[in-house]
Amino acid sequence: MDIIKTGNLKKSYMLGKVEVKALNGVDVSIQKGEFVAIMGPSGCGKSTFLNMVGMLDIPTSGEIYVEGNDVTGMSSNKRAEYRLRHIGFIFQFFNLFNELTAIENIMFPMMLNRMPNYRKNAQELLNLVGLGDRIHHLPSELSGGQQQRVTIARSLANSPKILLADEPTGNLDTKSSKEIIELFRKLNLERGQTIVMVTHSQEIGEKADRIIHFRDGIIEK
Amino acid sequence: MHLDDIRSALFYSKKDIFKNKKIFLFITAAIIFATANIIIINGFMDGMIRDLADNTVESSLGHLNIYPDQEERFIEGLGIKEEELNALKDVEAYSPRVSASGVLSFKELSASANILALDPDKERGVTKLLDKLDSGTAINSNDGNAILVSYRLAEDLKLDTGDEVTLAFENGNMKEYMIKGIIRTGSQEFDSSTVVMALNEARRHLDIENRASSILVKLSDKEIAGDYKPILMQNLGIKNVKTWKEELEYLMSFTEAYKSFSSIISAVGLIAASISVGIIVYVNVIHKKRQIGIMKALGAKDSFIFTVFIMEALLFGLIGVPAGDIVGYLAIKHMEANPFYDAIMMTWISARFGNYLLYNATAVSFAATLLAGIYPAIKASRIDIIKAIWGG
Ligand SMILES: Nc1ncnc2c1ncn2[C@@H]1O[C@H](COP(=O)(O)OP(=O)(O)O)[C@@H](O)[C@H]1O
Ligand SMILES: [Mg+2]
Repeated sequence: MDIIKTGNLKKSYMLGKVEVKALNGVDVSIQKGEFVAIMGPSGCGKSTFLNMVGMLDIPTSGEIYVEGNDVTGMSSNKRAEYRLRHIGFIFQFFNLFNELTAIENIMFPMMLNRMPNYRKNAQELLNLVGLGDRIHHLPSELSGGQQQRVTIARSLANSPKILLADEPTGNLDTKSSKEIIELFRKLNLERGQTIVMVTHSQEIGEKADRIIHFRDGIIEK
Repeated sequence: MHLDDIRSALFYSKKDIFKNKKIFLFITAAIIFATANIIIINGFMDGMIRDLADNTVESSLGHLNIYPDQEERFIEGLGIKEEELNALKDVEAYSPRVSASGVLSFKELSASANILALDPDKERGVTKLLDKLDSGTAINSNDGNAILVSYRLAEDLKLDTGDEVTLAFENGNMKEYMIKGIIRTGSQEFDSSTVVMALNEARRHLDIENRASSILVKLSDKEIAGDYKPILMQNLGIKNVKTWKEELEYLMSFTEAYKSFSSIISAVGLIAASISVGIIVYVNVIHKKRQIGIMKALGAKDSFIFTVFIMEALLFGLIGVPAGDIVGYLAIKHMEANPFYDAIMMTWISARFGNYLLYNATAVSFAATLLAGIYPAIKASRIDIIKAIWGG
C-alpha cells in the first residue's frame, strides 16, 4: 500500500513579482516501509517536496494522500497535529534546542505528544542511536555527527509513520555520514521505518532502496 | 489548553529564562522594586492621610458635631441639651462652642479675628486643641482677662505671650486681655486668625446665654458615630448633626489628588519593569526564531508557542512579585515603627500597613508582567515555519 501518494503536486512562491515554480506537477508513490532517496540539482524543489509531504507548508494545487487520505486543505492546527502524530523531521543544519540536554531534546516532542514514560523512552532512543552515555550533554558539547544522531532520535520520538530527512549528512564528514546512513538502514530494516531522504551525494543515495530524481520541479524519467 | 501542554511549555520556558542568570536577576530586581514601590508609596500615603485626619479630628472635631438648624445662628436651649447629653451612655464628653467675630488690636496694628469661645474643661474632654500650644499656657474656665491667639494672628500683630491687647466684639463691646498662649493646630483655617476665650467670659459680652454655635460630642468609640447619629438626633430633637467622617470629606477630596499622584509614580516604576520584561522575552523570541520553527515542525501549535513565551513573562512575575511583596512589607513595617514628625502639621506621620496593600500590588504587578509578555508571545506564535527553518 502507498503510504505517500501525490497527484500533480504544484507549489509556487512569489519572489517580488516573479513567480517561482518550485514544484510543477509531481506524481510520486512511496510504499510503506520503503527507504527512498530524492536527488537532483540545487533548487529543483527537493526541500519543497519534503515540506509539502511533512505539511510544513501547503501546496498551490494538487493532492497529497497519506495512507489513502487526502491531507491537503487541513487547517494550520490540524497540520500541526498531523506533524505531531505522524511525521519525523530531520533537517540539514543541526536543529536541536540549545538549552536542552540530549535527553531533554528527545523528551520535549514526547511531552508535546502527551506520552507517558517519556524519560525512559527518550533514554531508549538515545541508546538506539548509540548515545546512551551522552544523555546529559548539551548540543554544544556534542560533535556534529552526534548532534545529528540526537536529531534522528528526536525525530523518532513520536514513532512517526514517515521520517523525512532533508540532506541529513550535508554538514557531516564522510565517516559520520556513513554512520548516519547505516543508522537509517537499521531503522528501516528493524522497525520497518518509512524514510524519505533528500541528498546531494550519489554514494549516499545509492544506499536507499530507490532514487527519485528531481529536475526543475518535476520528476525526471 | 491541556494541563500537560502548560507543563510542557513551562519545561521549555524555565530553561530559556534561567539560562542567563544575570539577566534574570536584573529583571527580577526591577519587578521587586516596582512591586515594593507600590506598597511603600500607597502605605505611606494612606498613613499620612490617616494621620492628617486624626489630627483634624483631634484638634477641631468631635465624633459627632451638632450645628444649629438651617437658617439659625445658634443652637437654643443649651442647658436642656446638656442634660440630655449627660444622660446618654455612649456620650463620653461634649463641648459647646460659640463662634463670633471681632477685631483684635495691639499698639497701632489691628486685625479681624474669629472668636472661638469654649469651656476649657469640657473642650479637653473632646479635643486636644488646648494642648497645641507654641508658647505660653492654656486658659481655664474662669479666665476673665486672658485669651489665646492662633500663631498667624500673633505674627500679623507682632504679638507675644504676656502682651496686652484690645478685643472689640461684634456688638461693639471692648475689653483688654492678656495673651496667655499662642496656639497652632496645623489647620489653615484655624491658624490664620482665631482668638480662643473662655465661654464664661464670652457670655459677659455677647448675647449667648443658653446658646451655642456648635456642640462637639465624643463617643465611646469613633467607629459608632454613623450609627449613633440618628439616636442623638432623636434624643436631642435636633436636625443638623455631622459625623467626623462627613466633616472630613473635604480633606479626603483634597487627598484624592495626592493619591492619584502617587498612583502615577507607582505606575511609572511598574511600566519600566514590565517593559524590561517585555524586552527580554522579545529578545528571546527574536533569537529563537529557528528553534520556534523547529518546535512548530515537531507539531507545536501556535497556542503552545504563545504559552511558552507568556510563561517566560509570568515566571519573572512569579518570582519578582512575591519577593517585592516581602521587601515592601518589611519597608512599610519599618516606616510604621519609625514615624517622623511633621513640623508644619505639628503631628507624627507614619506609614500604615494593611493586607490590601499586598493584594493590590500583587494583582497589579502580575497583570503588568503578563501584559508585557503578550506582544512577544503573539509575535512568536506567528513565526512562519518555512522562513524560520531556512533562516529567512
Ligand atoms: N520560501 C520561499 N520563497 C521563495 N522561493 C522559494 C522559497 N523556498 C524555495 N524557494 C525557491 O523554490 C525553488 C526550489 O527550492 P528548494 O525546494 O529549496 O530546492 P532544493 O531543496 O531542491 O535545493 C528554488 O528556486 C528556491 O529558490
Ligand atoms: Mg533543499
